[in-house]
Amino acid sequence: MSRIVVTGIGIITAIGDTPAENRSALRRGETGIGHARHFTSRYTEKLPFGEINQETAALAVRLGVKDAAATRTDLIALYAASQAIADAGLTPADLMDKNTALIGGSTVGGMCLTDEMYADANATGSQGSPYLQSYSNSANTSYLQKQFGIGGLIDTFNTACSSSANAIMYAARLLKSGKAKKVIAGGADSLSKYTVNGFNALMILSDAPCRPFDAGRKGLNLGEAGAFLVLEREEEAAGKNIYACVEGYGNSNDAFHASSTSAEGHGPFLSMQRALQSAALQPGQIDFINAHGTATENNDETETVAMKRLFEKPPPFASTKSYTGHTLGAAGAVEAVFSILNLQHQEVYSSLHFEQPIETTGLIPILACSATPLKYVMSNSFGFGGNCTSLIFSKI
Amino acid sequence: MYIHQHICISPQDTSDLVNPDNIRPSVEGKLIALEPALDGVPPGMLRRMSKAVRMGMGAGLPLLKSHTVDGIVIGTANGGMEDCIKFLNQIVDYEEGLLTPAHFVQSTPNAIAGLQSLLTQNRSYNATHVHQGLAFENALLDAGMLVAENPGKNILVGGVDEISTYNYNIDLLAGWYSKTKSNAHLFDAKTPHTIAGEGAAMFIVSDQAADAAGNLEQLEFFHSQDTATVTDRFRHFIADFVPVTDNTILISGENGDGRQLPLYVECEEALGSALPVVRYKHLSGEYPTASSFALWLACQALQQQGLPRHLFKNEHSLQAIDRVILYNQYQGKQHSFMLVSK
Repeated sequence: MSRIVVTGIGIITAIGDTPAENRSALRRGETGIGHARHFTSRYTEKLPFGEINQETAALAVRLGVKDAAATRTDLIALYAASQAIADAGLTPADLMDKNTALIGGSTVGGMCLTDEMYADANATGSQGSPYLQSYSNSANTSYLQKQFGIGGLIDTFNTACSSSANAIMYAARLLKSGKAKKVIAGGADSLSKYTVNGFNALMILSDAPCRPFDAGRKGLNLGEAGAFLVLEREEEAAGKNIYACVEGYGNSNDAFHASSTSAEGHGPFLSMQRALQSAALQPGQIDFINAHGTATENNDETETVAMKRLFEKPPPFASTKSYTGHTLGAAGAVEAVFSILNLQHQEVYSSLHFEQPIETTGLIPILACSATPLKYVMSNSFGFGGNCTSLIFSKI
Repeated sequence: MYIHQHICISPQDTSDLVNPDNIRPSVEGKLIALEPALDGVPPGMLRRMSKAVRMGMGAGLPLLKSHTVDGIVIGTANGGMEDCIKFLNQIVDYEEGLLTPAHFVQSTPNAIAGLQSLLTQNRSYNATHVHQGLAFENALLDAGMLVAENPGKNILVGGVDEISTYNYNIDLLAGWYSKTKSNAHLFDAKTPHTIAGEGAAMFIVSDQAADAAGNLEQLEFFHSQDTATVTDRFRHFIADFVPVTDNTILISGENGDGRQLPLYVECEEALGSALPVVRYKHLSGEYPTASSFALWLACQALQQQGLPRHLFKNEHSLQAIDRVILYNQYQGKQHSFMLVSK
């Protein structure tokens, strides 16, 4: 069975516009969470965000985009996907090939345009805005398809906060089953009034920078990001720089509640266990976990419960959401890139703002960046509707 | 991948083949789905469900009760759009004041697959594909891989979409729908626009051939706005996968929109003029996952070895049905071909 390898990575988050910039901030322990400068909402005064420090118009200029219907999410997706495609050296002919697939994930999609969508959906004007084709859940993937002329399978996942982790899992399965030879997979989400008000109504937004796995955590910070990987079957990638292998993946539904995880962590336990099974690994072989670690009361406790159930001695872990904020549909792909950076540079990045462990589970995340030999890194992403996904990447 | 049991909720009585004397008419360019009674759903939960979720439960829960499944895979372009816009309206109307989260939580498109899992305590693989006119096709592809990965196991796969006031308004403004067209004369005028529809069709699939309703042998889908590319790929699909026999029919996604008609005609012509062509969007209306209705119809055609006369576009002397080819396109950009055999 040929291995599934990562030949290109692209990322834009609150801590940088490239993999190198992101790595540099992660190594320095420097968060991107703070006062939002570009996003407009009445909550920007009292809540911190993980905002990409570029105006939408400036992003369009940098990308040479003149299309008036392109949303901020479209541009963020294009920015990250362009990097990954260039990094993997995919040619226009590669992109147009029937065997090159594009799989995206997003939660907000085109709904980042809250006010414009309000007008169009309620038909308040006689004519629509330029954005009528831009609101759908799949708008960013379709936008990328058009930009790159992708000739193969196209899909968008929306399983809330595990969307792009599922996009990567699906991509790996398409490659394994021979339904594609190259897949561009990832996701994008931008800050929107929609999600800010939604999470605020659930009362799980912290008014201070988030503190994953800390006993005194007060909730999550929302962020925005785009991240894409180029995945190929190993034999298709001869002569290319290979970052890592996709070694395993697992998904489960927690079957407990629409917006919280069961106390036993059934879903997280099963997604991690299934990822190990698909990689034919024992729990003890996992060297590091990039945890979901949103810093909500519910997630961090149940995720650590599940880790303790599955691993005799849980491996070192951390949550990079303390740097980027929770980037929702993009989070799985963002953290896949960070897991790949872990393996590429043989180093782990810390969780920020941790002080005291959660009383019931007592687990302490990594608190300082350090060089560490790593063979297998697991990345967790859990979403609303009980959707739980774990990915395992390995050193080439 | 073999298709076993199936349930279709639609604007028509699809508990069996649609009776030609009993086709429910569209009203102001919309075909509204008939809702089933939902057994075993707590009333508090039922009250909060959008129609898409109710249809998804209505089609999915009976299948999940009669089969143990190792995966739930749903294709839905708009999922909880009705809740989504209710919440969005509150944000704007109350200027981001203090809101209740119910609509927000229900608005995620994976509410359908998530709730099916919750109500049946099923912790297996759970996926929601939302890629508009290819959401159901991706669900089928995903289910096909699951079937290959899990020999002997059942998977639930389905397509669901509702007409919400809101996505209807957006698509109306974008020029896709007409309020004056009706399903009685859907295919007569070659003018732009079609009628809106909704529904949910769910299927139990596995790698087991015994007692199957049909075998989904091939599936291909892609984006293109170039007629030559689509016809060329359709010709290749036929040449590569479909043996020439008399007992083959085409189920066409023709929807009364004159702008989309030429491609449907091209595909019909690629198969030769004698091939019986079946149309269904006067029953289902147009929606992103309408191809799930078409697949349900293909299963019916193979199981009943025939379809009512009123569904055929042309004269035919069909004695038996061995193969069904399906072509559907969504808004001229997304295309899918399927081959289902006995």
